[in-house]
Amino acid sequence: MLLEPIVPTVLSLRRIPAADPALLVAYGADPTRHVALGLVTCDQDDALYVALDEATKHAAVDVVFARSFYAGSAHASGRLSGEILGVIAAAEPQAIEDGLAALVACLAHDACFYDADGQRGITMFPHVIGALGAYLSRAAGLPAGEPMAYLVAPPMEATIGFDAALKAASVRAVKLVPPPTETNFACAWLTGIAPGDLASCEAAATAFAAAVVDVAARPRTR
Amino acid sequence: MSGTRALIAALRERLGAADPAPPRVPMPVVPAPPARVYVPRREPARGDAGGARHTTALLAIGHVGTRYATDVVLQFQAELAVAHEAVAAEVPDGWAADHGFLPLSSRVASHREFLLRPDLGRRLAPDSLQRLRDQAERSPDVQIILADGLSATACVDSGPALCAALAAACQQRGLSVGTPVCARFARVWLEDEIGHEVGAKVAVIVLGERPGLGTGDGLSAYLVHGPQIGKTDGDRNMMSNIHERGTPPPQAAERLAALAAAMIEQGTSGVGLDLARVAGEVERGYRPPQVRQRLVEP
Repeated sequence: MLLEPIVPTVLSLRRIPAADPALLVAYGADPTRHVALGLVTCDQDDALYVALDEATKHAAVDVVFARSFYAGSAHASGRLSGEILGVIAAAEPQAIEDGLAALVACLAHDACFYDADGQRGITMFPHVIGALGAYLSRAAGLPAGEPMAYLVAPPMEATIGFDAALKAASVRAVKLVPPPTETNFACAWLTGIAPGDLASCEAAATAFAAAVVDVAARPRTR
Repeated sequence: MSGTRALIAALRERLGAADPAPPRVPMPVVPAPPARVYVPRREPARGDAGGARHTTALLAIGHVGTRYATDVVLQFQAELAVAHEAVAAEVPDGWAADHGFLPLSSRVASHREFLLRPDLGRRLAPDSLQRLRDQAERSPDVQIILADGLSATACVDSGPALCAALAAACQQRGLSVGTPVCARFARVWLEDEIGHEVGAKVAVIVLGERPGLGTGDGLSAYLVHGPQIGKTDGDRNMMSNIHERGTPPPQAAERLAALAAAMIEQGTSGVGLDLARVAGEVERGYRPPQVRQRLVEP
């Protein structure tokens, strides 16, 4: 069904209340500040990146590790692997619980891919983050609390969509990642030229989604 | 939650999609955890409450839920701060000379080194040793040494008064007293070298004692007969808790003088000293229970 939300599936969700320091170091945590870990795999990498960022807004957690797996969840290494492993770290297990609760709620009700051709043959992620958390704001080099459009689609659709999004509103590209990425999608992070301009981010995301649907319906033009 | 779902639903409407969109999954209602209010509870009288009147130890302090009451924690932190401050304090430069003491110093160069190297605090610096040889009176019966020890606060506040009272008490017993000296960054065993250099029969070092909770003003006195390097703690007699809430300085001076006189009479100190023979003078009688000083209002 066209533009239907495809709700991500949490494939595994585990806690380590007191992780070994060697493990903490290997996964990018700081053994002097972090004790507990929360680990999650999901079948949608970009939805989980957004959900991890959401967790930093609700609990004293740091996203220490988040990596997409090659070729995406259709080619996963196991039925629990999906296409991403995300790790949050905190000084105490309760913060991990609070962070995971926010993360799971975000995956269930907010961040998701959408069906772009009515058959799930083409999917896209035209997500607008109202206020960036600690994780994505650092990755994007933007102040926390800024709005940002997080746009993902397959190579051709994304390229046409990025162009449409950048022209549709007064936004600028924070980051443009041409294909291939680990999952062979392309990705763009856009934010308003004026700080805090959520409406422009939403207009850009809508234009992106419309362009992707258009490419899916008309792959060739003269 | 972002508005992305609504945005895409509106786009879907605009594009005229034929099939109806699936209903939104409602957000779950998460009940807030019940708020629990704990009322401070004092321990019922079980014997320890009575005991608490006789000590400054933390007895019968009650609890709030599974924790200490706030005023108990604040009082503890305030008392710990008093102790920290006393340890961190230093005797001001020139203070010893201004108060009529011959200023000496151990081999320690800095306060941090003083805390880390007790061995250096037990020996005189070369220039101090020379000053002691040049200026100190020789062969007194009792050599009184004031020192900072682990609480310069106590040394500066009540040290001069105790030393003066002790000197007066010794002279009253017919004992000669050497030049008053004040040693900086000093440990107890420094009295061995100083006492030996001046040829004293008995050396007494009065120094700020390791602060406990809320007691940064306590002095201790250590006495040794025939001081010389190599004396052990078994050769010493000591008196601690010399402050207003413990043994007041005037009373302490009398007892210390009695101890010094007994050492000279018996020719020994420490475990060899027969305290039974001076029991009447140095034994402590009944002392009223100490009152805990409130640093925080409950």
